[in-house]
Amino acid sequence: MSRSAKRVAAYAGAAAAVLVTVGLAFLLHRLMPHANLSLLFLTGVLMVAARSGLGPSLLASVLSFLAFNYFFTKPYFTLQVADDGDVATLAFFLVIAAITGNLAARMYREVSMRQHSLQRMSELYDFSRQMSSAAGTAAVPEALAQHLNKSLGRAVWVLLSDAGKTPTVKFEAGQPSDLAPDEIETAWLSKATQPFSIAPWTFFLLATSREQMGLIAIQGELDSEQMDSVQSLCEQAGVALERTRLVEDLEETRVVYETEQLRSALLSSVSHDLRTPLASIIGSTTSLLEYGDSISPDDRRELLETVVEESQRLDRHIQNLLDMTRIGQGGLKLRRDWVDLHDTVSSALNRLRSDFRGLEVEIDVAPAVPLLWIHGVLIEQALVNLLDNAIRYSPDNGRITVSARAQGAVVEIDVCDEGPGIPESERELIFDMFYSAQHGDRGKHQGTGLGLTICRGMVGAHHGEVVALEGPNGRGTCMRITLPIYDKE
Amino acid sequence: MDAGSDNAAEAKILIVEDEAQIRKFLRISLQAHGYTVLEARLGEDGLALCASHQPELVILDLGLPDLDGQDFIARLREWSEVPVIVLSVRASESEKVRALDAGANDYVTKPFGINELMARIRSVLRGSQATHAAQPLFESDGLQVDLLQREVKVDGAAVHLSKKEYELLRLLISHPAQVLTHQQILREVWGPAQQNETHYLRVLMGQLRQKLRDDPTHPRFIVTVQGVGYRLAIQP
Repeated sequence: MSRSAKRVAAYAGAAAAVLVTVGLAFLLHRLMPHANLSLLFLTGVLMVAARSGLGPSLLASVLSFLAFNYFFTKPYFTLQVADDGDVATLAFFLVIAAITGNLAARMYREVSMRQHSLQRMSELYDFSRQMSSAAGTAAVPEALAQHLNKSLGRAVWVLLSDAGKTPTVKFEAGQPSDLAPDEIETAWLSKATQPFSIAPWTFFLLATSREQMGLIAIQGELDSEQMDSVQSLCEQAGVALERTRLVEDLEETRVVYETEQLRSALLSSVSHDLRTPLASIIGSTTSLLEYGDSISPDDRRELLETVVEESQRLDRHIQNLLDMTRIGQGGLKLRRDWVDLHDTVSSALNRLRSDFRGLEVEIDVAPAVPLLWIHGVLIEQALVNLLDNAIRYSPDNGRITVSARAQGAVVEIDVCDEGPGIPESERELIFDMFYSAQHGDRGKHQGTGLGLTICRGMVGAHHGEVVALEGPNGRGTCMRITLPIYDKE
Repeated sequence: MDAGSDNAAEAKILIVEDEAQIRKFLRISLQAHGYTVLEARLGEDGLALCASHQPELVILDLGLPDLDGQDFIARLREWSEVPVIVLSVRASESEKVRALDAGANDYVTKPFGINELMARIRSVLRGSQATHAAQPLFESDGLQVDLLQREVKVDGAAVHLSKKEYELLRLLISHPAQVLTHQQILREVWGPAQQNETHYLRVLMGQLRQKLRDDPTHPRFIVTVQGVGYRLAIQP
């Protein structure tokens, strides 16, 4: 309802109130003395004053006096005033109406101000909650624009600057932007910290303590109270922006740091894996070159064998590295074929023959294990990596067991050693490239390198699994590969 | 170079290394030189062999399956002064410095040629014999130091050294053929409070070399081990 309509209604209400009072007075005037009827009218005036303010109450008091005079004072049904006391009544009506009307009007103003400020506070509260929970830098200006649009009822645009350049409109609330580029330029270059107007827009600066981020443009002029409130909202948004920026910076730093860590851990692991066989090769060949004459023929042969074996080992490491790159880039193409697991196991053992150094190797592949639909070379590599670890961790004269059996819809292949075992808390971690690489050059985990990660990648490509289990009788470790059995269709 | 000409031959050398192939060529080459070779795959076994067989030298791989090489040195040094040469694929200076600070005498980075290792072995063995002899007169390749009279001569000509310069030279002589880290030298010559003031050492070393007429690019007496420390070169 508009203000003038409200006012008309208030005056109409005042007239109606007087009408009701007249009706009541007709009902009551036989029961009460004449003078007391004026009290009835006074009550009516007071009620109007309390409800509707000064103007209507004055109207009510004049109307009340006239009605009182017309209907209830002698001579009846004339406006003549016979008694001086009635003049006094009129005067009282007017004075009381003026005083109470004034009081009521003041009360109204205050109540409506309170309501207004309460609403503003709750909006501010909502806004600051939005600001403090804003997840990203982009959410802050958007929330600010929407809040300003709602609370001011004006069109609001947010212009954001990219690295100090002239900002461009990023959010529009209320209506599409009609700012001209040169006006934006002017507003941006002035970089005033106080709000400033370029008619018909008012601009506010959006800034963190580190940099000026952009502008808020509001359509039309604002009064000083609105200016202050918008200014403080912009400052609040600035603080929120600062916070989201810091969070984003931190996150970025963390990612960079972790990548850096992973890279250096991988490099150190790779260099260990490559240099160890190289050390044997260079050591053996220089021994032959320098002291060949004083070395017995058997020892010379042994040194040459070392060179061959270690070269093969180096080749395995390089193959591992290549495989890992392919797994990492998702470029691993399976060339599946029907493969007899016996062949895969014996070929894997063959490749490591020279590394067994007197360890006892037991093979127990159940005859009933069906042919597997796999990429044989990859599963062989997975087995080689598991065996490599088993050898590394076995005590002297230890026993390594390779066993396989069909178990429902899958085949289980176990590689068990009698080494120190893996604590339960680490059994999943050892497959993590980062974990094994980090611990790869030191102590117990030396040389695990990337083998297990690669093993899991290869078996995973076959929709199988690799897990680390406790060895039989709680001794050592069993690594279990599970591969699905396919029908020969 | 023919085997057996070395007076250090017949020395017992313990190899602590988990790589069978490396142990193999070390054993063959060392035996070809007449050394007696003991082998251990694990750190604990190595410590036990040190105690039971009293080797003259230990060749230690830093990356053992059961024990970190640094811990091995620390535990060995609790009761033995046997010289230790460290083998490591870790090329980083800080690892070497840690091993030397823990008490290793020298290091060789894998991969290495057998000549390099043999030279270090001879040098360390000679150094430990010199230490045991503790003669008041030190002599090597024209450098003469009379530890009693505090007199230094280069090629017969007397050299006057300041107190600190002499201290530095004496420290290197008392650990012949052993790499002394910057921190070790600073601690000994200046005291523990100054052990990070590497530039003191650089300046003093420059002065000492100048007085000994030692060219750092072709050192006769004091060899720089880049990023680690210094070693006194010993010639018979």
